[in-house]
Formats: sequence, C-alpha cells, structure tokens
Amino acid sequence: MNVYIRYAFKETFANLWRNRMMTIAAVLTVAVSLSLVGSALLLKQSAAQASAQWQAGTRVTVWMQPKSSGGEIASVQSALALSPIVKSCVFLTKQQNYLEAKKLLPATEFSVLSPADMPSGFQCVPVVPSDAATIESTFRSQPGVYSVTAPDQQIRQMEHAIRIIQIVFLALAAVLLLSASVLILNTIRMAIFARRREVSVMKLVGATNWFIRGPYITEGFIQGLIGSLFAIGAVTALHVWYPLHNEFTLTSSAVWGTDLVVLALGVSIGSIGSAIAIRRFLDV
Amino acid sequence: MIRFENVSKTYKNGTPALTNVNLDIEKGEFVFLVGASGSGKTTFLRLLLREELPDQGRILEAGRDIGALPKWRVPYLRRNIGCVFQDFRLLPNKTVFDNVAFALEVIGRPRSTIDSQVPQILELVGLGEKAKNLPGELSGGEQQRVAVARAFVNRPLILLADEPTGNLDPSNSESIMALLERINRTGTTVVMATHDKNMVDRMRRRVVELEKGEIVRDQVRGVYGLDETSAQ
Repeated sequence: MNVYIRYAFKETFANLWRNRMMTIAAVLTVAVSLSLVGSALLLKQSAAQASAQWQAGTRVTVWMQPKSSGGEIASVQSALALSPIVKSCVFLTKQQNYLEAKKLLPATEFSVLSPADMPSGFQCVPVVPSDAATIESTFRSQPGVYSVTAPDQQIRQMEHAIRIIQIVFLALAAVLLLSASVLILNTIRMAIFARRREVSVMKLVGATNWFIRGPYITEGFIQGLIGSLFAIGAVTALHVWYPLHNEFTLTSSAVWGTDLVVLALGVSIGSIGSAIAIRRFLDV
Repeated sequence: MIRFENVSKTYKNGTPALTNVNLDIEKGEFVFLVGASGSGKTTFLRLLLREELPDQGRILEAGRDIGALPKWRVPYLRRNIGCVFQDFRLLPNKTVFDNVAFALEVIGRPRSTIDSQVPQILELVGLGEKAKNLPGELSGGEQQRVAVARAFVNRPLILLADEPTGNLDPSNSESIMALLERINRTGTTVVMATHDKNMVDRMRRRVVELEKGEIVRDQVRGVYGLDETSAQ
C-alpha cells in the first residue's frame, strides 16, 4: 500500500513542478475566488449578527398627544396590553420625557419647554422584532396618539445594501471558481499529455486504473488545497483587521465555519477539475 | 493456455478484422503468427490483451473467458501477459534499470523485489553492464532486449511479440529470437506476429497464417509461406 502512496506523491510533485506556471495560475485563481466567497460569507454572518443585535433592542414608542385625555391614554394602554404582538410596555410620564429631553437638547432650546408641553408615551417591546412595523400601523391612528416610531426602516435598508454587496461578491466568486476549475483541468490535461508514454506503458504492464489516476487526482486536490489555504489566510486577515463597527465583529467560531466552507470548496474544485480531466483525457 | 472460439471482430468502419477464428495454443508453445499487413495479426494480439472485445465468440486465457472479466480486473489479466513491440516503447528519460523497474513499480511491487529482480533479468538479456544507460545510448537490438526484459520481469504466463525484429538487422534479430526461445523454455507461452520469413523458416515452430482475418494455415513445424521459394 505505501508503495502506491509513495508513487502517487512522487509523481504528483514532479507534475506540479513541471507545470509550475500553470499551477501557480490555478492556485492563485482558486485563492482569489475563495477569498471572495469567504468574505461574502463573513459579511453575511456579521450583517445577520449586527441586525439581530439591533433588532433585539428594537423599541416601538407610541407617543401620545400632549393634550390627550386620561381616557385616551387608558384605552391605548389596554389596547397595547391586549395586543398579541406586543411583549411589554413601559409608560413614560410627561415628567420623565421632560428629563429625557433635557439630556438630549441644548440648554437654549430646552429652556422654552415646560413639562406640560411634553408628550407622554409608551415604550414597547414587540414579541418579534419584525412586528414593529405592524405595531406602528395599528396604533398610529388611535385617538390621542401623536405618532409611533420604530427603527425598523434603517435596518432594512442596511440589510438590503449588504445583500447586494454579497450577491456581487458571490457572482464574481462563481465566475472565478469556474475559471479556477478550468485552469486546474487544463494543468492536469497537460500533465497527462506530458506523461502519455508512461501511461501507455503502465496500462500495458497491468497497473490498476486507480494507480494510474492517483497522481492526477492528488495534483488537482493539492492545487485546490493550497488555493484554499491562501483564501483562509485572507479571510482570517479580514477578520482580524475588520474595517467595520463592533457590532459586526464575529466570534472566532463563526470564522472557523467560514474557513471550513472555503477549504471544502477549494478541495472539491480541485478534485472536480482533475476528475473531468481524467475522464476526458486519460483513457482508463 | 489460449483458446479462440468462433471469434469475429469487425471495426466500426465496417472492415472485418477477424472472421470466425478458432485456435488453441497450449501452455509453453511457441507460435508464429504470419500474414500480410492487414490480415488481422495485430487485432489478434489486441484481443488477447483485451484492448478490444470480440463481436462474436469467446477468448479463453488460462481457462478464463476474458470477455467476461469486469473492467477493473483487466490490469490483473495484463500482469500475466508480457508485450514486446516493433518500436520498443521504452521511456527515453529513464535508465535501462528504471525502465524495467517501472513495470514492477507500477504494479505495486516492493523495492526489495525490484532490487533483486531487475539486475537478474538484465543479466538474462545480457545488459547487466548497461543498467545505468539511457535507451538513447543503446543500439536498436539492445533497446529491444530492454523491452523484452521489461515484458518478462514479472514472469508472465504469456509473452506477446508484435514484429519484435521488424526494426532490427539480422544479427540483432537473431539475438532477440534466441532470447525469446530461452524465455519460451522456461514454460512461457510465446506468440509472435512477424514478417520475418527467414526467421520463421529457420525456427521450425508452429505457424498460424492469417489471411483477410481468417486462419488459412496452422502448421506444427511450419515455414513462413508455402508459396514461392519456401514451398520446396
């Protein structure tokens, strides 16, 4: 058995060295395309993580009109309490909002306000963050309600932008991955061509088909492997020097998952490329 | 050892290569396969190697129907058949030793076997001194002896030779024939396709003549042809 393995490795590295220019081209294409795939995956994960964090903090605030009556406030309160999509609500008095405004506004503007001008309101947590919009549309027209605010819109726009970037990355990566496998296929075709005498002698003296195929399969596998290792390096670098806000920063385990996907893709691209070359050009 | 039962083979372009061939070759026999170019000699050898399958009939080797072998078994069949060709088919970038060793290496023989068998077989073919030379540094006769060594190093049951002396001068042909005879005496069945009339006439071995894909003659101690001068 180790005779076979030694032979396959010896031949594989001889082939890689003989075709080193093609090998470098193939490996670099794999590396670049898989770096894009890896970045797209990281981007997707960190966007999901950031929007989950934002949405977990989603508060819908139902502002009452400053002049709303006690009855109106009570009926909005009971409607909120009965609504199945509202988890909990806190009533903010005019005095509380007055103090809150004091913190937020410059002293010159604040000085014209009195607590009586302030609205009271309910700060509510939806059961599911995405229900914020429904709460908004339900309560906006209730009597005595001044307005309802939900932060949902910005998150949606953000997610939309990230999704577009991700699609662009993946489309580029798909094209590059295709060219990577064609390059690998071509490298192996050349290796097979360079060795056609050996192959014909091997068939003649009764080398098994897998023995003959072995070095070429390993060759594609190794090209894919090396390419994906470069890509993993790039993904890790992206993770370490992340140019984005804290909320986007992923845990190491999430990066490991991306690394695994990149590795698996690289190795399978290499193997598929060599499998096709073997089927088409190595008649065993 | 070899049996053809009603074997026919027609190529895709419609040329019949062999038609209803029946033949028995015993273990240890030496058989010349003669006939004009295109008479089906090469097809005969290709069928024995299972590079082709017959359209009709069966081919038995060592009692086994080789047409019934699954594809993955074919390499194991070929380990029992040595092959020598007119054009030697040596690997030009490997030494004489490595050319012969290659045949053992690629069927997974351990290094120790290679290191003991290869020098032995090179002695047998008289090239012990040239083990480290490249094929390009040898004469045609020597190259063909390397090819015979490679074909025989795994001690096959059958040795097929397709015009092995076709590229050689008479004295080199002579030494190749002597070598094949010697191999034959070890019990190996030898089937040799040839045009070399003098050789066949002198050896007086079994001669099978093909003409347009049919066996027209099968003679125990034959000569190349019954026509012309050799008929006397």
